[in-house]
Amino acid sequence: MDVNDPHLNDPAPNDTALNDTVLRPREVVPTAARGRKKPWFAYGVLALALVAGGVFVAKFLTNALDYYCNVDEVGVKDGCDVGRSIRIQGVVEKGSVAETGSVTNFVVTFNGVSMPVNLSSDPTGLFQECIPVVVTGRVVENTDGSRVFEGEEVLVKHDENYDKENEARVDKANAEADACSART
Amino acid sequence: MLNAPYVIGSYVVTLGGIALYTWRMLGQARTAARQVPPEDRPWT
Amino acid sequence: MTGFMTSPRNSPGTVAVLDRAPTSTTFSRVLGIATLVGIGWLVVFGLFLSPNDRVQKTGVRIMYIHVPSAWLAYLAFGVTGVSSLAYLWKRTRSLAWDRLAGASAEVGVLFMGITLVSGSLWGRISWGTYWTWDARLTTTAFLFVTYIGYLAVRDLGGTHQQRAKRSAVLAVLAMLEVPLVHFSVTWWRPLHQNETVENGKLSGLMLFTLFVGLIAFTLLYVWLVLHRQRVLTLLDQVDDRGLDVAIAERRNESVPS
Repeated sequence: MDVNDPHLNDPAPNDTALNDTVLRPREVVPTAARGRKKPWFAYGVLALALVAGGVFVAKFLTNALDYYCNVDEVGVKDGCDVGRSIRIQGVVEKGSVAETGSVTNFVVTFNGVSMPVNLSSDPTGLFQECIPVVVTGRVVENTDGSRVFEGEEVLVKHDENYDKENEARVDKANAEADACSART
Repeated sequence: MLNAPYVIGSYVVTLGGIALYTWRMLGQARTAARQVPPEDRPWT
Repeated sequence: MTGFMTSPRNSPGTVAVLDRAPTSTTFSRVLGIATLVGIGWLVVFGLFLSPNDRVQKTGVRIMYIHVPSAWLAYLAFGVTGVSSLAYLWKRTRSLAWDRLAGASAEVGVLFMGITLVSGSLWGRISWGTYWTWDARLTTTAFLFVTYIGYLAVRDLGGTHQQRAKRSAVLAVLAMLEVPLVHFSVTWWRPLHQNETVENGKLSGLMLFTLFVGLIAFTLLYVWLVLHRQRVLTLLDQVDDRGLDVAIAERRNESVPS
């Protein structure tokens, strides 16, 4: 036995009975989480999560709380001012979609109030007539007091109602047209 | 099929992600089990 | 060192089988087969048998994985919160609750990740964008990083009891975010649509397919958590044993040969 081993006598209270201490019941050994994980990695992930969480809270306060203004709220509701960069929400008027060069023109309506939109980008997603959309851009007031929305991007706000395609197609189309004009 | 890459892609990513997670987890189990005798596994 | 530590492959019969699938039991095998069947059904119904939507066309098929994975993520984080409470309550304090909490959070993060990716792809074809900072998406992203942070906190080191206590406190607080995410579509005005099953219209084969997805993902959740908490038990035992073995090896080194 190497009596110079500095660790030999440390953990064992009865150092004379070596084999007994080795076979000591496991319960007295403290449980430890070490060896299998690298703590620096966990600290790195935690730091990233904290930074991301902060960014998301900021995004929530600046972007998500007042995500859009309904068309009828423009110039009325706080934060929906003319000239300011906002999102407006309304239903695309039936028969209003037209293209002139790279600009797509259409009219969005909500609660009986309509606003013409000049969209400078290509509409994507499910963009079509009679569907609710959210347009990012700016309300511009002409000298005669009429307003137009200079849109940069359109997002389609589809609803939570689903139905089979091609089922009683004519009835659906009629109902949809009615619903579109009733909503607006 | 319209938008097939997006629709099929979402299923592939989902099933692939689950498979990858499961495979890694069971691999970790095999490695760890080498050091733990069967009598110390309460579920056996 | 004893034999099983150095040469498990030489062990005869049952031990060899156990070491190939150390966390499996008869129950988990039956559950695993049921899960695979459920996922098979989900793929068949979701991609082939269910009809196209009138407005969304094929896009609706993403719903059958997006909605169930979101629900199961909520459930997973709920289970993490409740088992953390069970750990914090002195009369039921056990590291088994802590490991259940950790396993469920990890599976919840997996499901939340699936929710985000599938939702992003769905958003691209229906809204026209992969991502936007509306109330639902922003709160979901926050919930996701909260639980990534929770998993990191579990790995910061210390004893198992320290790990259990600090992560349990965090899990109980984090659980409060789940209703925030769920009701974000009614409390604020997001781009995201409202809850399909509570408020929307869904019927026939579409509703059935969503139901198949929910069953498949629930089975998958139970199977994954069952195995994951067993793996965490093994890993904790390895830690304990590592300490044991280190002491034993130290002693053995000092014995003259």
